[in-house]
Amino acid sequence: MTPWLWFSIRPVIASASGTSFGLTYNTLVVVTGVAAVGFAAGVVGSLALLRRRPLVGDAAAHATLAGVALAFLATGRRDLPTLLVGAFVSAVAALATLVFIRRVTRTRDDAATAIVIGVSFGIGLALISGITARGLPGGGGLEQFLLGHTAALTVRDAAVLAVVSLLAVVVVAVGLKEAVVLSFDAEFAAATGWPVGLLDLALVGIVAVMVVVGLPAAGAVLVTAMVVIPPVAARQWTDRVGRMLPLAGLIGLAAAVAGVAASAARPGLSTGPLVVLSAAAICAVSFLIAPQRGWIARRWSAAVLENQWSRGRVLEVCLQLSGPDGRDGVDPTAVMLRAAGDSWAGRRTASRAWQSLARDGLILPGGSGLKPRRGDAGNRWQLSNAGMAMAWERRRRIEAWNHVLDEAVESGRDWLTLDLPDPVDVLGSAVAPATSVRRAPLPVATPRVPESQD
Amino acid sequence: MTQPLVEFHDVTVAYGRRPVLWNVDLTIDRACLFGVIGPNGAGKSTMLKAALGLVPVVGGYVRFFGEPLARVRTRVGYVPQRETVDWDFPVTVTDVVLMGTYARLGWFRRPGRRERELAAECLDRVGLADFAGRQIGRLSGGQQQRVFLARALAQEADIYLFDEPMAGVDVRSQERIFAVLAELRDAGRLVIVVHHDLRTAAEWFDRVALVDMRLVAAGPTAEVLTPINLQRTYAGRVELLEELGQAVAERGRTP
Repeated sequence: MTPWLWFSIRPVIASASGTSFGLTYNTLVVVTGVAAVGFAAGVVGSLALLRRRPLVGDAAAHATLAGVALAFLATGRRDLPTLLVGAFVSAVAALATLVFIRRVTRTRDDAATAIVIGVSFGIGLALISGITARGLPGGGGLEQFLLGHTAALTVRDAAVLAVVSLLAVVVVAVGLKEAVVLSFDAEFAAATGWPVGLLDLALVGIVAVMVVVGLPAAGAVLVTAMVVIPPVAARQWTDRVGRMLPLAGLIGLAAAVAGVAASAARPGLSTGPLVVLSAAAICAVSFLIAPQRGWIARRWSAAVLENQWSRGRVLEVCLQLSGPDGRDGVDPTAVMLRAAGDSWAGRRTASRAWQSLARDGLILPGGSGLKPRRGDAGNRWQLSNAGMAMAWERRRRIEAWNHVLDEAVESGRDWLTLDLPDPVDVLGSAVAPATSVRRAPLPVATPRVPESQD
Repeated sequence: MTQPLVEFHDVTVAYGRRPVLWNVDLTIDRACLFGVIGPNGAGKSTMLKAALGLVPVVGGYVRFFGEPLARVRTRVGYVPQRETVDWDFPVTVTDVVLMGTYARLGWFRRPGRRERELAAECLDRVGLADFAGRQIGRLSGGQQQRVFLARALAQEADIYLFDEPMAGVDVRSQERIFAVLAELRDAGRLVIVVHHDLRTAAEWFDRVALVDMRLVAAGPTAEVLTPINLQRTYAGRVELLEELGQAVAERGRTP
């Protein structure tokens, strides 16, 4: 353990164990158990997300409360495994109701889910408040299942949670191939003989198990977030199922541990909201900074594209204004005006492009080689040899691209379906700033382009 | 007598109470490139789905090699329409092609080296060897369709069913796809293709079936694609449009 991490959680552990220093066995076991639950929730939730059934867990979760209450009323005991078995039974009953409503009444999926969530949760709340009002012995504290409260977990409870979680992860690992073919293309899966209905049932079943196991940590209302948020966060970072699942697991684990630690540090705080907020924080950061899919990455590449485009535009205008032999010289103001018109935003972009072209030595302050002109005002610039080459290359590429589009039109095809590696790169790499990595030119219909005019 | 490769026997399919395909009797007894042609909404795709058990049939049955599908499933390959899947799904091109081998692998067995080599070979055949590691969303429409084609090749089937493989696909991909289909035919496979473009149908397919909610005609392309048959398949729609146009003109508003 790195020293800074130790120092940051030491006070948490100290307050949780009630001693001034050190980690009690009990705390350690509970944290381990909840960490396992967080990991498994992320892994199992990934499958639900990929199958586009993220709300199935929510329906199951809200129903668990009724099961907990009924299990208590039926047995009069309040040990965790008994209550969780009750929770599982009612979760399955809710999911069966969901399927029933959808099949028999032709209600839409989302409406059916909303009905099941509301009704089953209502039943659960009614039962719990009834038990509390009657003051049944041992009935107090059942409402902890509403928001989650890990402080009450015993070592044995935590061990049960951990074992069930690990089993769920093992099941997912074993059946991953089947789950992926089902989620990606259910029709193909059915056509090639996979029992789609059975696989869906297994998927829903294991989600229900995870929701139940997550109850003590996050509570009936919020446990679904443990199943949904980590996979969404993990998806931002990777394009591979094989990496998304373990990553979602790790994010779930981190969120669970952070939530438990925070709730232990401030006795009285429910665990559930803290776990969910931790997961949400990780998710928000992922939305922001993930490579490729993240907001910043997307804004950045849009800005790069815009910059490349206006560099190209400015080069083109310079080429046009510098006369047939390229020795007329250009006036920056005239270039700005022609490149951006009277749009101020356009001019700002264009002037930034001008500066970056000047920095790269593609345009030079004029003088040598320029044709003398009467009444020379002084501020004359010219394209350098490299700039000239780049401007011509850009023209050539535009012609090539037009040629491709013409061909597409002739054959009556949508250009979006054209078989090109990356259409936006057609211009980009021709005018990329010197600082960025120069990519190899694209083979965009190059052979068929008429030789350029120079 | 040898069994026919595919036999549709009096197949009728209905969505709700509306029949979309009725009394289809069709026997294909030798390997060829077989086109299922007809206007939009004529039940062409439904015909394939009924054959594969993806939609329930009201009556009739479909046999492959004289057997029900369940007994010969690994010998029948299927390529659904491209729009049916989420292309943002986090898998690579190779992952998708490997799915073609899953049915043969059976429960819980993972693809091994043999399957990976097969997948690479199939990708090479459709001209996508360079894209093996790409996420499937970062492909053009034509490339995506070729990924599906490669997945079907990886099934190593004897009969292939394609649902509109040329829809929304650029010319280069179309030619590539057609070349692979012809290769399959030449290797003795039966290739059944749902296709909506009459112009290309005549030059591509050895035999065709004209379908417009029922089987209008079936047989060698030259004998089936006659003006009279085309009239019977497509003309109904034209008349309908004319009637609708008249009704609109008479009432002065949309009916």
